[in-house]
Amino acid sequence: MAVFQAALINELEKLRKKKKAVVAIVLSLLMTVIGQLLVLGVRMGFGIRGAGSTDFSMLVLSFAVNTLLPLFAVLVAIDSFSGEFNQNTMRTTLTRPISRFKIYAAKVTAIGIFILVNLAFLSILSLVFGLVFSGDTMSFKGVLQVILAYGVSFFPIFILALGVVLLANVLKSGTSVFFVAILSFIIFKGLGVLFSQYSGILLTSYFDWYNLWLASSMPWVKILREFLLMLGYGLIFFTGAYYLFDKKEF
Amino acid sequence: MEKVIEMQNLTKLFKNGRGISDLTLDIYQGEIFGFLGPNGAGKTTAMKIMTGLMRPDRGDVKLFGYSIQEEYEKAMANVGCIIEIPEAYPYLTAYENLKQLARFYSEVDNKRIDEVLELTGMLRYKNEKPKRFSLGMKQRLGIAAAILSRPKLLILDEPLNGLDVEGMIQIRKLILNLAEQEQTTFFISSHLIHDVELTCNKIGVIYNGMLLNVQTTEDILKNYATLENYFVSEVERNGRVPSSINQRA
Repeated sequence: MAVFQAALINELEKLRKKKKAVVAIVLSLLMTVIGQLLVLGVRMGFGIRGAGSTDFSMLVLSFAVNTLLPLFAVLVAIDSFSGEFNQNTMRTTLTRPISRFKIYAAKVTAIGIFILVNLAFLSILSLVFGLVFSGDTMSFKGVLQVILAYGVSFFPIFILALGVVLLANVLKSGTSVFFVAILSFIIFKGLGVLFSQYSGILLTSYFDWYNLWLASSMPWVKILREFLLMLGYGLIFFTGAYYLFDKKEF
Repeated sequence: MEKVIEMQNLTKLFKNGRGISDLTLDIYQGEIFGFLGPNGAGKTTAMKIMTGLMRPDRGDVKLFGYSIQEEYEKAMANVGCIIEIPEAYPYLTAYENLKQLARFYSEVDNKRIDEVLELTGMLRYKNEKPKRFSLGMKQRLGIAAAILSRPKLLILDEPLNGLDVEGMIQIRKLILNLAEQEQTTFFISSHLIHDVELTCNKIGVIYNGMLLNVQTTEDILKNYATLENYFVSEVERNGRVPSSINQRA
């Protein structure tokens, strides 16, 4: 366990020192500011309320969950695997007294933590902006719903990241992984629209599953079905990627 | 004396026909083993298998009695290594790079990091990032990383690669000191045959993936004027002599 902890601390340190983590924070901030400016513009220009208090957080989430959050999850997953394969820095870690499974698990956990921190940062930021500009309409229940929505959004983004980890262990170059990941994302999104009756089996259709958790009467069966499908995807991606990582020669 | 490395019928063949075949070798504590062979003979392949970076098609390697394939963590607990060009994380400083590795060993503290940086002449670059380092500086940092945990076995693939004369002498002294004072065992591959002669006390020649001969440096030098002559003779007996060696001999 001590070596796993060491590997996890190392992965988190690397994430912190890379510029991508900073860029993710800056972009999250920019997105929230621009979003709030748009809402204010609509309110002042047309007299329409636009989005008030916690609604603003949901608005930010609905946009970020399909753009910024998956994008950074993909980039971090690529960096963590393809980046280290290509720079040959993976060898340095692999030749230490730690099993490949622990290295793999530490990397995947670090990616998960990155996604969680990104979601937490965005939720706090959007709540603060909502409070400052439309604080009069903010309720405790609304804040709880925001936390829940951001919290459950972790699953689909994390599963997507696991899919990218699998790709990173199949394809050689990080650029190929990035393009295949983005292309697959767009294709699956398109397929979800074209064949909506089958969209339930596409991972990309789960990005807005947080809406299910906000319904006045909770659709438990649907939530459970979608959760199990995501879990299935996650297990396949995790196991497949580990199998390839373990067999990889450096 | 304790057997540190046990190689049993180690075989790994690539699609291009190169690789290693039936390598069997024992290295004992305190030995400085020089692994010689022309380019593509299989030196790095053998070292990659020894450190778990590759899997053999057949055979096994045991380090300190533990199989590298079955008990990796135990086998590598007392091993330091450099395989090919040691790469460091370019966005971390030299110190942070070593700190990353130090976390895997409970006995390595910040003082030890400074100590290995000093030993390898890298202390003044402690807070610099390796992206601006020369090949020699990267090599020194790689050596610092390899000796960080005070390993009982050091597997070094071309450890003098990119070093200037001063650096070569410094690292050679370091190897000899560690072997003498701490009974560290070394498994070194190098093209710098003169340095191998000055450093190693046991020599193995690999050619076309097969181990031709293993002898002590002392015994070799009883029959040959230099290690280079021995190497050329061994390789010649088995077929081909690399052109550069031919010209010098």
